Parts: sequence; structure tokens; C-alpha cells
Amino acid sequence: MDRVLRLGIDVGGTNTDAVLLSGDTVVATAKEASTADVTSGIARAVGAVVAARPGLAREVAAVMIGTTHFLNALVDGSHLAPTAVIRLGLPAAAAVPPLSGWPDRLRASVGGHVFMCHGGHEYDGRLISPFDAAEFRAAVDAAHHAGARSYAISSVFSPVAPDLELAAAQLLAEELPDAPVSLSHEIGTLGLLERENATALNAALRELAEVVTDGLVGAVRAAGVAAPIFLSSNDGALMGVEYARRFPVTTLASGPANSMRGAAVLAGRTSCTVIDVGGTTVDVGVLEQGYPREAPDDVSVALVPTNVRMPDVISLSFGGGSVVGGSADRPTLGPRSVGLRLRQDALVFGGDVLTATDIAVAAGRSDLGERGLTRGVPRSLVDAVLAQVRRSLGDAVDRMRLSVDPVTAVVVGGGGAIVADDLPDVAEVIRPEHHEVANAVGAAVARVSGEVDRVVTATGAGARDAVDAAAQEAVDRAIAAGARPSTVQVVDTVRLPLNYLPGEAYRVRVKAVGELALQDPLPEVRRG
Amino acid sequence: MAERRIEREDVDAFAAGAAILGAGGGGDVRVGAHLLRHLLAERSLRLVPAADLPPDGIVVHTGAVGSPDVISERLLSPVDLARAAAAVAEQVMGPIRAAAAFEIGGLNALVGAIGAIELGLPFVDGDLMGRAFPKLTQNTLALNGVAPVPLAVASPAGDVVVVPLMGPRAVEPILAGITAGMGGAASVAGYPIAAGDLDRMGVRGSVSACIELGRRFLAARSAALPVLIGDLGARLHGVGRVEEIVPRSSTAPGTLTVIDGGDGAVVRVDHQEEFLATTVDGVPGASTPDVVAVLDNRSRRPLQVEEVRVGQAVVVCSLPALHTWPASARHLVGPSAFGLVEMEER
Repeated sequence: MDRVLRLGIDVGGTNTDAVLLSGDTVVATAKEASTADVTSGIARAVGAVVAARPGLAREVAAVMIGTTHFLNALVDGSHLAPTAVIRLGLPAAAAVPPLSGWPDRLRASVGGHVFMCHGGHEYDGRLISPFDAAEFRAAVDAAHHAGARSYAISSVFSPVAPDLELAAAQLLAEELPDAPVSLSHEIGTLGLLERENATALNAALRELAEVVTDGLVGAVRAAGVAAPIFLSSNDGALMGVEYARRFPVTTLASGPANSMRGAAVLAGRTSCTVIDVGGTTVDVGVLEQGYPREAPDDVSVALVPTNVRMPDVISLSFGGGSVVGGSADRPTLGPRSVGLRLRQDALVFGGDVLTATDIAVAAGRSDLGERGLTRGVPRSLVDAVLAQVRRSLGDAVDRMRLSVDPVTAVVVGGGGAIVADDLPDVAEVIRPEHHEVANAVGAAVARVSGEVDRVVTATGAGARDAVDAAAQEAVDRAIAAGARPSTVQVVDTVRLPLNYLPGEAYRVRVKAVGELALQDPLPEVRRG
Repeated sequence: MAERRIEREDVDAFAAGAAILGAGGGGDVRVGAHLLRHLLAERSLRLVPAADLPPDGIVVHTGAVGSPDVISERLLSPVDLARAAAAVAEQVMGPIRAAAAFEIGGLNALVGAIGAIELGLPFVDGDLMGRAFPKLTQNTLALNGVAPVPLAVASPAGDVVVVPLMGPRAVEPILAGITAGMGGAASVAGYPIAAGDLDRMGVRGSVSACIELGRRFLAARSAALPVLIGDLGARLHGVGRVEEIVPRSSTAPGTLTVIDGGDGAVVRVDHQEEFLATTVDGVPGASTPDVVAVLDNRSRRPLQVEEVRVGQAVVVCSLPALHTWPASARHLVGPSAFGLVEMEER
């Protein structure tokens, strides 16, 4: 085995981190400033880690990248493709048109081309009305002439019956062979508006996804690394580049998922609470059996409600760079932060802004900069701020945990010194080595998953067979996505009755996970 | 007095209040909030007390029936609500002067407003339950012997079924049968009634009160729990983790068991489609018709019964319904109406 190293890369808004891992052992790390063109920052970070030894680049067996690029694009409304959203369901589901409730700016960024056509199904598979090919063609034609370049198609109850979305995609491919098409049943679950929103966001990101993935691949190759490349998804699992191009929406929350998985590996835990302290925010999440817990509610992305699966995270609005104000009686912390300018503006670096980092240094928790420069800060204010941080973290940890037992908290990220060692109901606080590149480690250790989420309308043995079939399909999908067959396990099966419906209808969700097959030839990756 | 209106800015508070008054049931308010927000982008809705209407002017109630899962896919159509209401108007052979909500808890609080907008009528500041109940007939008119008829049910496919007459025992099965035929959810209009009678028998001011409750909830949602509970005018029964969930069966209510994180008390919540009653270490806490609410202690969102998970951190509290139900209504809306044994008076 000469190719055993994994290269993990985290492209954040501020820094691009790279780590080389052999098994779970960190071989080399690098932290470089992110660049506007993304690729030169990556090339530098990758170049730095493989420079440790000649020939190291050739030993890399797989490259895993986590990026916040697509989320930033949605928040800025930049580089989004003009998108048409076509809903099948008339005469039902007409009251709230597609893209209703979107922030005006984002709606304008994607063009706001919306259409409603006949089609859709009832929950039991009956048609609401037949698909009208001429009507659909007219919508596509109008969208095309209005300037749409990417298409999102939703149909009522498509998670039960995807056939009309597939028929529409077929027709669209005949009309406009090169246009990217996003189908709602491949992206979200029951709940038409949220699923359609996620599909529209995905469609709007398709063009950018081509550019970004090309850039990522190019930067890695330019550093001399020829190994297969994967992107990490919202649940921390890996997907191939081709899959990421088609489903960029599934990468949106990979940041929190990666920091949680990385923290766990660095601390040697599979179930723990993770506290990720950045410059302006703290994310608190929970890892269960090695994977981030999912958010129980629908999650808004760039203020748009969606039902794509996201990790459950509480974000607190302070971090290592937060500005401290007020008095010992009423201390204030954040939300204003010196951010990137910590090393110029903070007291301990000779600046004139009192930050959370200065408080940590003054309290003897951190030896950054010069402690002497914090002499003028009243001890009572230091204590009050630390107490406030301890209280908010304790509260967040308590709200996140799922059992009465005391938890283990793993602290990662640059500003971790502001976190106390004696959080309420926390048995142990672990600050692992290499905690500052936990995100990149999380990307490097990600596994491959396969998922099935569908509605089953069967009873008795038929329902059991349907659940078994879904489980087998999830396993097959994980293997198709690059998992080593002998390591694939079903990790989650949920069977929920649909409420107040006559007969028996169940929603079945199955997830299977396996290790990436590093030595085997990798098939072109497809998930979902 | 200035005329009261519901504007787009009121929708979040209206939906939040309705979610709490849903007591864990009554459907998901989100679809209704989307739709109402969409409709109110161009217009606003006049809110009138029944007492301000001509006493013999007819008020019709509109709402949605059926599966929340179907509604979350097929959405609701204001046109269907209007068609159902028109069918009722045709039966009573007179113009409708105002529209109202069947219940002020859950999705139907918002659907009542949606129906009024589509019909172009004022929306009555009141309802028939003062919270959400699972049955159409668990309301103040039924207590006074008034039947929901003539009643009309409309589907998105254009089907309209009119029921001129039905006895109390037939209402639920007939409605369920019609709804099933319409794909699992439908729009309904019924309880046409003279405004003077509605003012006498209905719940007054509950739409305003619901919006006000939601406004207080949104303002105090992130505050310390005692502040939130105080601002809601609620009683706290426990804060802790869900230890066990016994699902309801077709014949009996289910229970949640929450272990209070502070004093270790065992908080039990009986439930069916709604949360029905609480006991703390065996001592009765609150029971229907009071509103028992279970909030996720992470987001403070009011939870639906089927959303609660073992291990989840929750807040169990109760608040009075927006109507003082007389003792004579216990058979209709008290614990025994849901298959629970009546507890001693508190």
C-alpha cells in the first residue's frame, strides 16, 4: 500500500486549511488566507502540506474538500443562474406560487421566472390531472425566451410518485438538451413549498457549481495531486465531484458537519458535544455515533425555508474576536467583532480594542500576544465576561444534549481559550491537538452514505418488504457512491405514519454508511 | 374607535399564537401563514366583532379538514373555501355578511382569515372553540344545540358536496368519508348563523387575543424561561427531558413522560391528536379545555404531538383557552371527552 494518505481541505470565508492524514493521524497541516479566486488559496494550502517531503503528493489516495462557497453565493446573491421554477399540480396547489416569500433581492438574483402547469399526484398515487406536454413546452419556451438558463421542476407528491417530474425532465431535455434540470423528488421530502425552494436554490447554483468544481479540481491537480476528489455534504458524508455539480445545495452546511466530525476524530470520540469557536460566532453541535445530529425543523437557507437535511447547530453571536464593552455589572460581548484584524486591533497585540481574546489572556487562559498589555482591564470585568460566556455556553450545551448524563465537550477553533473548563453538567472539556484545522480533518475522514426517503402505501408483510427494499437500496447507493461493500451498514431507519390518512401510508427513511474504498478503482460517483 | 385590520406584518404573530392554541394539534400553521402572507401582500383584512354586524346578517365559518401531510403538498385553495361558502349561502338563500374561523388554534385560525379575504368579507373577531379541538362539533354552538348544517365541502378538483342535514353523531364519519374521497384533505364551510346569535354564543375577541398572544410569545421567545412563561400568562409544569413516549392507540390516549431537570419530578402529559392533560408526580396539573403546550426548549417552538422525541429537552406549560367553558361543557371538551378519567377539581 503506497497510497494511504488522505488530503482534507476546508475552504472557508477567511482561511483555507489543508491537512494530510494517515489513518486518523495528522501528518501535516497548513493554513492559508482564502483568496477571491478560491483556487490560488487552495493551491497554496495544498502545496504547503505536500511540500513536507518530495513525492508526498503521489501518496495521496483521496482528496476531500469542504467549502462554504455556495452558501456565500446565496447570501450575496452573486453568480446565480437565471432560473425557471415550474410546478406541476394545477388545479391544486395554485394559491402560493413558486418563490413566494423569498427575500426580494434573492428572488431578483435568480430571475423570478415561475410557472404552474397541470399535473401532480394525490398521496395514494392517483393523478390530480394529467401532464399536459403542450402546456409544459409553452412554459419552457417562455422561460427560455425570458432568459432562464437553469430549470427547477416540482410536482405535487413527487416523493410518492416521481414520474411526472421525470417525464417533464425528458421533455425539457428534448427542447433544451444542455439546460441543467433539478427535480424536487431528488432534493427534498414532503412539504411542497420547502422542497420546491430547495430545488430552486439548487438550480440557481448549478452554473456556479460547474465553475467552482472545475476550479477545485484544477487547483488540486496543479499541486501535483492526481487522486480522486470528493466534496463533503451537509451530513458530513462524501460525494463525488459529478454529484456535487448536480446537487450543490447538498454542500451548503458542510462546514458545521466537518468541524464536528473533525473534532471527534482529533479527540478520539464518536459521541460528544462540539464547541467550535470562530472569530465572530460559536457553533455548538452534537455528534451521535460519529455523525452530526440533524436539525429537527425545516431549515432556512439565506432566509428561504427548505427541507434539505442540515446538522442541528446552535450559533451564538460571539467569538474570539468579539468586542467587549460595558462594565462588570453589565458586560457586553459582540456581536461586533474585529474579525480578521484581531492581530492588529486586540490589546494583547498592541491594538486598542478590548476583545474576548484579551479577556482570555488576562485571565491566564491563553498566552497569545503580551499579557502585560491587559493590565488596565479591571479583574471584575474579566470575571464578568468569562461568567457570561460560561453561562451562554452552558445553556447552549444543555439545550443540545439528548440525555441527562453529563456530556463530553470537545472545543475546536481559534478562539477556544474563552471556553471554561468547568461548564455546567459537562464531565470533561477536551481541547485536542490540531484543533485549529478540525474542519479540514473532518473533511478528510468523511465516509460515504446512501439514502432513501420515500412514502410507502402498503400494509402488513407488504410494508415490511417495502422497508427491506428501501434498506437494500440505501446500501446499494452507498456502494455506488464509492463505499467499500464490506463496511456498509444501515445506520438509521425511520418509519413514520402519515397523519389522518385513510388506509396506511408510511414515510420510510433509511441511511447507510460505509468507509471510502481507497484502494479500489472508484466508480463515477452518484448518490440519491 | 379605529377600525381593526389584519396586515401582512401581523401574520407571524397570528401564526405563533395559533400554534400555541393548537395544543400540539390542529395542523401545521406554516402553510396557512405562507398563504395568508401572500394574500395580504396586496390587501388587508377588516376584523369586526360579531356585535358590530347587523344582528340578522349571516356569518359563515370556513376551514380546512383532513391530513396535514396532504395540505403540506397540495396546499390550500382560497377558491375552494369560497366555493364551499357559496354553496352554503345558496342553501340559506341569503347574502353572507362576514366570515369566521371554526377554531382559533392551529392551521384553521389562519384558514378562517384566508376564507374571509377570498370572499371579500370582514373577518369576525371571534371563533367557536377558543383553542383547537379535533372535532368540528366540539364548540360553543354545538353546546347550544346548533348543528353545523348546511355544510359544504370542496376539493381542488372542483367537487362540492353539500350536506343539508346531519345529526351530531354522523358529523365526523360523514366528514371523514367526504374528505377521503377528496384525496385526504378538503375545504369546508358551515355553521351559518345570524351575527346576533353568534355574538351571544360564540367566543368573542379571540382573533385579537390570538395575535396578541403570538406577539408576546415572539417578543419573549429568547428570554429566560420564567419571563416567557410569565408573559404568556401560562403555568409551568416542568422543564426537562422526554424519558418515554407511549403512542396513542385507536382506542386510548397516549402519554409522554418528562423528567424535570430541576427537581426530578415526573411530569406526565396525556395526548391524542392534542396534548390533553398533565400531572406532576401524580398530582393533576392542567387538563382540557385548558391549553397544554409542549415547547422545544432548544428553539422554544410549540411542538406538535408527533414531533416530540425521546431525549428532547422540552418545556411543559398550560394556559387558559380563550373561552371560559362552563362546567356543563365537560362532556364535550373536558378530559372525559377524550377518554381520560376526570381528575379531582384543582
